[in-house]
Amino acid sequence: MKCTVCRGPAVIDVRRHNAAFCPDHFIVHCRDQVRRAITEHDMLSPDDRVLVAVSGGKDSLALWDLLAALDVPADGLHLRLGIGDYSTESTRAARAYASARGWTLHEVDLDADWGFTIPDAAAATHRVPCSACGLSKRHLCNQYAVEHGYDVVATGHNLDDEAAVLLGNVLRWETGYLGRQQPVLPAAPGFARKVKPLVRLGERELAAYCVIRRIDYQVEECPLASGNRHLAYKEVLNGLEHRSPGTKAAFVHGFFARGQTRFTGEDTATPLQPCATCGAPTPGEVCAFCRLRARVAERQ
Amino acid sequence: MKVLLRNPRRELDVAGPITVTALLQRLELSPEAVLVIAGDELVARDARLDDAATVEIRPVTSGGAPTR
Repeated sequence: MKCTVCRGPAVIDVRRHNAAFCPDHFIVHCRDQVRRAITEHDMLSPDDRVLVAVSGGKDSLALWDLLAALDVPADGLHLRLGIGDYSTESTRAARAYASARGWTLHEVDLDADWGFTIPDAAAATHRVPCSACGLSKRHLCNQYAVEHGYDVVATGHNLDDEAAVLLGNVLRWETGYLGRQQPVLPAAPGFARKVKPLVRLGERELAAYCVIRRIDYQVEECPLASGNRHLAYKEVLNGLEHRSPGTKAAFVHGFFARGQTRFTGEDTATPLQPCATCGAPTPGEVCAFCRLRARVAERQ
Repeated sequence: MKVLLRNPRRELDVAGPITVTALLQRLELSPEAVLVIAGDELVARDARLDDAATVEIRPVTSGGAPTR
């Protein structure tokens, strides 16, 4: 297999682009895709203060690396989730990456700062751990950004993540969620702008990027995510992609270009007001994160 | 060759030489869901792996909290 650009030996193929790349041209490909996503969706302005949500996994570390390569300075925020050895190793990878480059990595420790871990939350709510984890990440990343003057939270959601979420939302006709599934969520009172600069790169490309760039990331899968519905959707989509390369990109980017606006307004719920406990905007009296904390506290 | 698999972590012995594509077929793994790394270098699907190679098959699928 030869590099589509220079005809040197290729190390990875990207079938949806009918291309293969040597290491150097693969890095160029990744940077081009991120630059294109940022430009096409008007994600960033030159003066923005950017906060990258850094889990220590391949996507977030690749995102931080790619933003720096594109001259987008950003600080990192790492949430310590309390998921045993998995969290310990994730924190080690995030710290090692930041420290080797002298970059700022902020940390929030769910247990020390908020009094619970993700396993605690899952046990208290009797729901899948990913539900409490996603809720906590969204709340705490936004809160940190707002309180510390960041304009933008950049997350490592990639093409595969977006395709899996879109499939799940379509299968259940979650019209409110479809109306909000966008590569950019604009800022609003109490909310920083959310951007997903990796929406043009698949997770295989992001893992390959880290291997080529020698980025030491948390390779192991979260032990609490095993068997979840999101993984099942990814497996189905990988089967379709294998038979018909480009399916995932057509699904996601077609939705962004032609489908998403048809659902805009489906999520216009009750006007937001400050949470009675923490002050975050919420449609109810108390926000979902504070309700989660209360349920965990009751059980403890 | 020694082949390291993850999630769960385990090691297999596979006779070489063999191409990456054939190795993945033998192990019934989707090429969309893994990378193959020989030594510490990424290798393409048509690469031939020697019997003496040390190979890692690294899953690329993350399944954590989805966004809505």
